[in-house]
Amino acid sequence: MDRTQLLIGLAAALFCLGLVGVIVRRHVLVMLMCMELMLNGVNLSLVTFAQQSGTTVGAVVVFLVFVVATIEIALAIPIVLLLVRAKRTLDLGAYNDLKG
Amino acid sequence: MLTAVVLLPLLGFVLNGLFATRLRSHPLGHGFVTALGCGLPIASFALVVLGVLKLAAAGWAPLVETAYRWAQIGDASFEVAFYLDRLSAVMALVVTGVGSAIHVYSVGYMKEDEGYGRFFAYLNLFLFFMLLLVLGRSLLVLFVGWEGVGLASYLLIGFWFHDLANARAGKKAFITNRVGDAGFLLGMFVLFQAFGTLDMDRIDASFAGPVLPAVSASLVGILLFIGATGKSAQIPLHVWLPDAMAGPTPVSALIHAATMVTAGVYLVARMSGVYLHAPEASAVIAAIGVGTAFFAATIALVQTDIKKVLAYSTISQLGFMFLALGVGAYGVAIFHLVTHAFFKACLFLGAGSVIHALGGEQDLRRMGGLARRIPLTFVTFAIATAAIAGIPPLAGFFSKDEILWYAFASTRGGSPLLWFFGAATALMTAFYMFRLLWLAFLGPSRMAPEVEHHVHESPRSMTSVLVLLAVLSAFGGFIAVPHFLEPQLALPATDEHLHAWETPLLVLSVVLALAGLALAAFLYGGPSGRVDALRARFAGAHRWLSGKYFIDELYEAVIGRPLVWVSDRVFLRVGDRALLDGTLNGMAAVARGGAWVLGRVQTGSLHVYAWLVLAGLAGALLWSWRHV
Amino acid sequence: MIEKLLSNLDTLLLLSCAFGALGCAALMLVLRQPMRVAMALISSMLFLAGIYGLLGVHFVAAFQVLIYVGAVMVFMVYVIMLLEVREHSGPLYSRLLLPGIAGLAVLLVALIAGIWRPLPSAAHGTGASGYGIAAFSVAFLDEYWLLFELTSVLLVAAVVAALAVIRVGRAHAGGRAHG
Repeated sequence: MDRTQLLIGLAAALFCLGLVGVIVRRHVLVMLMCMELMLNGVNLSLVTFAQQSGTTVGAVVVFLVFVVATIEIALAIPIVLLLVRAKRTLDLGAYNDLKG
Repeated sequence: MLTAVVLLPLLGFVLNGLFATRLRSHPLGHGFVTALGCGLPIASFALVVLGVLKLAAAGWAPLVETAYRWAQIGDASFEVAFYLDRLSAVMALVVTGVGSAIHVYSVGYMKEDEGYGRFFAYLNLFLFFMLLLVLGRSLLVLFVGWEGVGLASYLLIGFWFHDLANARAGKKAFITNRVGDAGFLLGMFVLFQAFGTLDMDRIDASFAGPVLPAVSASLVGILLFIGATGKSAQIPLHVWLPDAMAGPTPVSALIHAATMVTAGVYLVARMSGVYLHAPEASAVIAAIGVGTAFFAATIALVQTDIKKVLAYSTISQLGFMFLALGVGAYGVAIFHLVTHAFFKACLFLGAGSVIHALGGEQDLRRMGGLARRIPLTFVTFAIATAAIAGIPPLAGFFSKDEILWYAFASTRGGSPLLWFFGAATALMTAFYMFRLLWLAFLGPSRMAPEVEHHVHESPRSMTSVLVLLAVLSAFGGFIAVPHFLEPQLALPATDEHLHAWETPLLVLSVVLALAGLALAAFLYGGPSGRVDALRARFAGAHRWLSGKYFIDELYEAVIGRPLVWVSDRVFLRVGDRALLDGTLNGMAAVARGGAWVLGRVQTGSLHVYAWLVLAGLAGALLWSWRHV
Repeated sequence: MIEKLLSNLDTLLLLSCAFGALGCAALMLVLRQPMRVAMALISSMLFLAGIYGLLGVHFVAAFQVLIYVGAVMVFMVYVIMLLEVREHSGPLYSRLLLPGIAGLAVLLVALIAGIWRPLPSAAHGTGASGYGIAAFSVAFLDEYWLLFELTSVLLVAAVVAALAVIRVGRAHAGGRAHG
């Protein structure tokens, strides 16, 4: 297997691990961090493909992903803070008001 | 011109219908309604007379006037066309003439009524449809008129609709007629299928031609006759006519005596070309005609309501007309139609005069001795009674005698059996009509005292019409209608061997009429004990007759109740509730159930949602990459 | 042997960084305390930065460390410290542990099976000129200027949103204090 395949495989693995982490872990902040892991996986694949094709657009998109990740975390954390203040726990099992 | 004849009454209907109630409070409103309501039919009559003169001048070749084309469907074109020949001339004269007279009568009769304007509007509407019926060239126009007079009849029977019984009577009339109309429509379909046209003169001509068309004339004949039984109250669809007496008396006179009920007779006479080639149908018509005549006369023997007697008498006389049609004497049937219009209208209007004088009383047991109090009504009523009984030289004698002669001797189905029942009916007719005269006018007074005080002669508008009709009943027999119609409706050949019987039968019918008169005078002119003794001896028969043979109850039990049962059990419970509502509710329940099932996805748990994302993603990827 | 090591240094480093990233990511799912999970994530990101550097896209590696580790993860660590006082007890995993693992396997197989084919080799080697920061900035501000502007708009929106959330939080807390 060559380098590109290895990296693409790694990126896929990181993404899957992140997604499964969201499904499996109960702690809200850990779930947020798993989402960051997913974004990292995507970044890796973008960079790999971009470098392979030789155009600059790949790098631009990676940069935008950084920006979006920053914004996302900047807003997600306050939301989680508000939720925690309402529910008084960081366990996701308590957040089921939207049931039914 | 023919179009104008038809449209003038329609104009009266529209104007009266729109403005009559609004003008009720206006001082001139009454006069406006009267002027329009009576003037337009009289104008129509004048135009018909003009038309007949024109027809005569043209050597009696039929006048055809096409008003407009109704529809063009493929190759077939349906026009509204009017046709004036000898037969429709006779009919139109009767309709507009007697009709206008009855309109004038209504001015006096309905003067106090609240619905004065509405009444004239409906009467004019009726006249419009009746003229469509008699002047129409094609069966389609006739059928429009046919249905329209049924509508007008319904509106007028239930004129005083605040009494529910009247409304029910109107409904019964309309529905019974519709049953007959089903047969009529089928007959029209068969004719159209065979000829591609519904023009009656053309259909008759095809039948008269050298090659007979390939359609069963008897089938068409029976189907059209079914329609005629409905409209002309023959067995088995006669049940509506006695109930129709709930309407005002001018309505009974115009619609249920002189004109509408004769539409069936007109139809058969007009389609005589078909019936000449349909011996089976003609036999059926003759049998039902004489049967109805006999049957209705027996019921009339014991009726106690003055209008009901006349109603059954009408059914009986219509039976006579159909008897004549059945043996091929079409012109004679029309003759009897004309004389019947005269004397029956006179009788009904006279009855109306009596009811008016007595302030609404219609029961014969509470009348008597009116001859001195309302002499003019009595004289006209007596003349008309003598006419219907067949006493020469009044009109009824001529027409009835011709019918009986042809029933006996016609080569197209005449037989002594038909004659026998006809003669028996004639005897009964004379009897019950004189019974009516005696009970109402002669003998001691059985009226309630407060009613007796107010007995008065009717106003001029009513009595003048009575006089006119009485004169026509007296001398109308001399209008030789059958001979007038001979070129168009040939009289049937009579059996040579039976010619010897002609004079004896003539004498016999006069004897029967006088016998009826004598019997009535004997029973009702003398002390009342005689009648009571007779009733006690034949109590069972009396019960059957006054119950009208319980035909209404039979229909209710055999037809009405099963239909209601089917409607309720099958159509309502199974069809409507279980099937239709059930299906819709079932679909809604399915949707609700499906929504509940799908709603179980909303667990509120983010883990589950994320897992679903993963599952979807994996599924999509696998599916899209299966080719790779 | 040293020559072999040196000639394959690139590959060796790449492999070790790859394994490191993968291992730290796997650790994230297993560790109990959120602070340790954050550390694992930071390590993973640093390994990824290493990979970027080995690929020749140095400025992306720099951004990875600066922005991702230096801003995002620091913010995350700060929040963990703010919220966490005592040991996190209770069940570690949700009810969907087994379905999750099954899904992981399936998705992994789907992804890798889909993309496992020889890809065209890189047109350029490492350190391609197209990937210098100069080329990047020129392209970013010239060809993709719209995206640049949109990014700034997005950042402004994010600031506004953050302020709004804070206000909601304050109103909520204030309301409850009064009520």
